This record gives sequence, C-alpha cells and structure tokens, in this order.
Amino acid sequence: MIKVSNLSFSYSPAGPSVLSDINLEFDRRTTAIIGQNGAGKSTFVKLLKGLLKTDQGEIFIGDYEVKMKTAAELARQIGLVFQNPDDQIFKRTVLDEAMFGLLNIKIGKSTAERLAVEALEMVGLEDKLAVNPHDLSLSEKKLLCIASVMAMDTDIVIFDEPTIGQDHAGMEIIRRIIQELKKKNKLVMTIIHDMDFVAENFDRTIVFNNGKVLLDGETREVFSQKEVLMEANVEPPGVTQLAERVGLKNTILTVEEFVQECGK
Amino acid sequence: MHNIDPISKLYYILFAIIIPIILPSFIVSVICVALSVLLLLAAKVIRKTLPVYSFVFLVLITVIVIQGLFRPGNETILFHLGPFAMHKEGLLFALTIVLRVTNIVSAFMLLVLTTKPSDLVESLVRRGMSPRIGYVIVSVFQIIPEMMSTMSTIMDAQRSRGMETEGKLLVRMKAFIPLLAPVVLGSLINTKERAMALEVRGFNSRNPKTYLNEEKTYSYSKWIQVAMLLVTIFAVAWRVFL
Repeated sequence: MIKVSNLSFSYSPAGPSVLSDINLEFDRRTTAIIGQNGAGKSTFVKLLKGLLKTDQGEIFIGDYEVKMKTAAELARQIGLVFQNPDDQIFKRTVLDEAMFGLLNIKIGKSTAERLAVEALEMVGLEDKLAVNPHDLSLSEKKLLCIASVMAMDTDIVIFDEPTIGQDHAGMEIIRRIIQELKKKNKLVMTIIHDMDFVAENFDRTIVFNNGKVLLDGETREVFSQKEVLMEANVEPPGVTQLAERVGLKNTILTVEEFVQECGK
Repeated sequence: MHNIDPISKLYYILFAIIIPIILPSFIVSVICVALSVLLLLAAKVIRKTLPVYSFVFLVLITVIVIQGLFRPGNETILFHLGPFAMHKEGLLFALTIVLRVTNIVSAFMLLVLTTKPSDLVESLVRRGMSPRIGYVIVSVFQIIPEMMSTMSTIMDAQRSRGMETEGKLLVRMKAFIPLLAPVVLGSLINTKERAMALEVRGFNSRNPKTYLNEEKTYSYSKWIQVAMLLVTIFAVAWRVFL
C-alpha cells in the first residue's frame, strides 16, 4: 500500500539528517512505530502524509508519489490523528468538528453529517453533538479527533500517540476502533510509547533509532530481540519481561498468553 | 560589541538621540550616524540591518520628495521634476530628518541586534526594575515564536483533513483566517496555565528575588558610560558658551 525507498530527510540543508536511508513497505497489517523521542518517528509520519517534502528518495501511496500531491489532496487516502487534540480542534461544536474534513473533501452536507455521527457513535460521543469541543475532557477531545479522521473513511489511518492521557475506558474504545478498522481492511499505523498496547494490538512493529530502521517484523519477533531493543532504549512489555525472567521459552505478548503458558 | 553591558547600550541610544539635539549641525549628526554604523560593522551585524534600513529609507524617500516639493518657505529652486520644482530649503530640512531617523534607528539596532532580550531585562531588573514588568517583556519575546510554531502545527492538522493551504494567495488567505481562532484560544489557555505555574513557583512572593545567572561582569562599562557622559557635558558646554 505504501512503498518507501531510500528516504532521507533533514529539516535544514546543513543540519543533521533526521531520517537516513529508509526502505519500508507497508501492507494491511496493523503497524506500530516505536523508538525513543527524537528517533524520527513523527517526521517519518509527516512525510507519509505530505506535510513535509522528501529531500531524497520516494514515497508511493498506491500509484501516486506523495511529493506530487498536496497534503490536502492526500486527505482522501490517508488520515492522521495528531498527538495534541488542541492543535486539531477548531470548530464550535463536536458535530461541526467531525464534519470538517468531510466537507473539505467535497462530500455533500447530509452525507457528511451521517458519516460524522456514525464516527462519533463509535467513540461514544454521540450524545455530545452540540457541545463545544473545548469543554470536553482531554481524553474526550482525543476521541473526537479520532472520530473526525475516522469519518473520512481513508484507506490508511495513522495515530500519533493515541493512548496518552486515556483512562481504561478510553483505551478500550481505541482498541475497538483499531480492530474495527482492521476488519474493514484498512492500514492502521501508530506512533506509540505504550508497549503493552503494542503487544496486544499490533501485528507488525517497526523500531526507529537515530533516523534509521533498527528492527522491523512481527511484533512477537521484534520483542524477542531484547539486546537490539536495548540499543534503541526500548523496553519490552512488562509481561514479556516477566515471562523471560521466569524462564518461559516462547516470547509472551499478553497476560492471557502468560497464563496459558504457565498452566501447561 | 556583544559583550558590552546592555545598560551601556541603552545609554548609547539616549546619547545618540540627545547629542544631535544639543548640537543641531549636520556634521554632528553625520558623526553620530557614522559612529553607530561603525559599531554595527564592528559587531558584525551590519547584514541584518539591511532590511530595516531599506524599509526606513523607503519611508524617508517620500519625506524627501514631499518636503522638497511642498515645504512652506521653499524659495530657492534647485531643479525641476517634470512640472514640479525641487527647493533647497525643503531638501535641507528633509536631510535633517533623514539623519535624525537614521541615527535613532542605528542606535536602536545596535542594542537589539547585539543583545539577548533576556540579558537586557535581567540587567534592568538588577537595577531595580520590577521583576513583573521584566517577565512581561521577556514573555513577549518568547510568545511570538511559540505562536508561530503552534500556527504551523495547527495548519498541518487542518491540511491533514483536506483543507487546501498551498497555492494561490486567495487560497492561503482563506485558509489563514479560520486558523486564528485556535491559535489565539490556545495562547489564552496557555496563559492561564502559565500564570498558575508561575504562582506555584512563588512569582508573587514578597521576598527579594535571586537570579539564575551570575551577574556578568562587563568590561569597560564604567569607562564607556563616563565617556558618553563627558561628551554630553562637553556638548552642552559648547552649545551654551560658544
């Protein structure tokens, strides 16, 4: 779906390179991008979204080269939920906010309203349509941002740190949304620091370190390589570490797996 | 130049304004401008002054034309501009204005381009300015770049959802206006949080404030200030007695 080849990028011509020589291909597996702060994750995502233009290398989404399109044109194919909801929210009511993107991509008003309400139902905000988004709690604001991107029904959805500031209920909603999107055969990508969440929800994991791809593979396989992860300052999920300490041979990703393995 | 006490630079601005007032002759004004320009050269910031100077001169050219053509008391005709006549008196008057403005602008640029705002404010607070006012000044310098970066993030977020912000001027203008609300709202929310954060750290405490940085010792501060004072006194004396 996305093909990245020989991608390099730096913010200023003389400055240090933020990304160097990235080669990746994305299929429809749910993909988590992890790594330390400053590893280049956000920059990479912005390049995918066309918010930044590549210096070197190419990014193809389907048949289009990203560089040839404006970010606004890409909005039909690829949706990005920002980390800080306050950067994204700017309409007066929850419903308007969710409809904003749809109207931008020239969807008729009644259809847009229907799609927006559907998306808001998914995140449980359907009873707050007329509320001013700034009166919502942080976690509700984040869910609103997710809904407003979901409403656009793009083939690719990228989340930047969706789980920050979410309580358990919020996490469950996000988990459900990711599963739902997966069922609809969409590519879900996320930048994330919550390793437990990665282990439980993502099929594929990519580790960035100093602007390079350090590891890329099935999540289980990635979390089994403890030494390499250490190099990127990434810690496997708690239960994975526990399983290793008590001497289980397989790499464990979830509590259920752990219980099952121990019960044998 | 970057290592000179900000206070001395403040005095220099005062000095550069006062001297041509005390001694209103062309030569003195020219000397003052030349001195500032030399100092700007020595500080290696002359390149940064060019945009400011070009803007100022753009305004001054209109002054020259208007004064040259229409100043009351214009008598001696120098030359003709189409149907209009340029007059000597007007031009001379315009020249004094040009020199004054250039002089003041140069002196200010010497301060602005060679001093970090925070250093200047710290020096002023050390000399008894209220830390509150100091904070207000410093925060203005901080808020502007902050707002610019928020602006670009918000712009990115809207582009992501299909708002066209690239291309023709009209498209950009249309995109710009709706962005203002979140930027302004965002900074207001920030202000509230910032106020609370300051309060928590004892911003309003009545105890004397301490400083994060050690007081910088600037070389020659005294000498520079004394020299400027002497020149000023000399100028006054010159004016009064000669």
